[in-house]
Amino acid sequence: MLTGVLWGMIGVFLIPLYQTTRRGDIWETMLALSSVATKSSLIMVLVSVMRDDWMMGLVGVITLSVGNAGFMLLAHLLRRMAQTGR
Amino acid sequence: MDNSLVLLTALLPLAAGLVVVQTNPYRALVVRGILGSVAALVYALLGAADVALTEALVGTLLAVILYAVAVRSSLVVRLGVLAVDLDRRAGDLQTLMTALRRVLGQQYVQVEWVTYGETTELAQALADQKVHAICTCPEPTLIHTTTQVHRLYEILQREWPTPMTVVYQPVAIQGGH
Repeated sequence: MLTGVLWGMIGVFLIPLYQTTRRGDIWETMLALSSVATKSSLIMVLVSVMRDDWMMGLVGVITLSVGNAGFMLLAHLLRRMAQTGR
Repeated sequence: MDNSLVLLTALLPLAAGLVVVQTNPYRALVVRGILGSVAALVYALLGAADVALTEALVGTLLAVILYAVAVRSSLVVRLGVLAVDLDRRAGDLQTLMTALRRVLGQQYVQVEWVTYGETTELAQALADQKVHAICTCPEPTLIHTTTQVHRLYEILQREWPTPMTVVYQPVAIQGGH
């Protein structure tokens, strides 16, 4: 059953990747980044449960909790750029 | 399990290709973050948990911050102007700024004002290359824009809309930027 869930997650993982190929607002790409970061961590956690591998699960949890700091900094920079005007 | 691993591994060169084809540097930064996430996932699935953790922390956090600082500080044209002119000719200078942002925005270059009090300070700033271009208003209707960056001069000469009353005086060509 977990294998089916994993395939579903991989399918969902492709959606934000497709979104990055489209030319749109840069905030849509930022959304895709946030989405990919969370989804990759969750896939790590799922695979760690499937393989009963605690080390990989730990990496997934740390990535999930710490990985958004750079995202916030990048968002702040983009917001400042939008304020100064393009 | 093996097939899904192959598919996830194939996403890594796909994400790298996405970074390469980006033309906007800020968008490329964001896609670099996506590449870091996918790389961390692939490393973890292939059994290298320590490499994955390093990639997640360094690849997506530190690299993005360093590149953001580099892009932010290099892709900016600093435009020197007198504070008096900015008060007196605010409307004209704002029109000039809008046109500059439109023209240079095609090259993903930002434009920002740097104000100076004295005419000599303004000229010295251009000579010292503290600003890339200066705007002076010696006549009531005309705005002179002077730049020392030849590439900037070329872009403006090629792209500038004809109705604008602006004259360019490339002072000297002192290397590229």
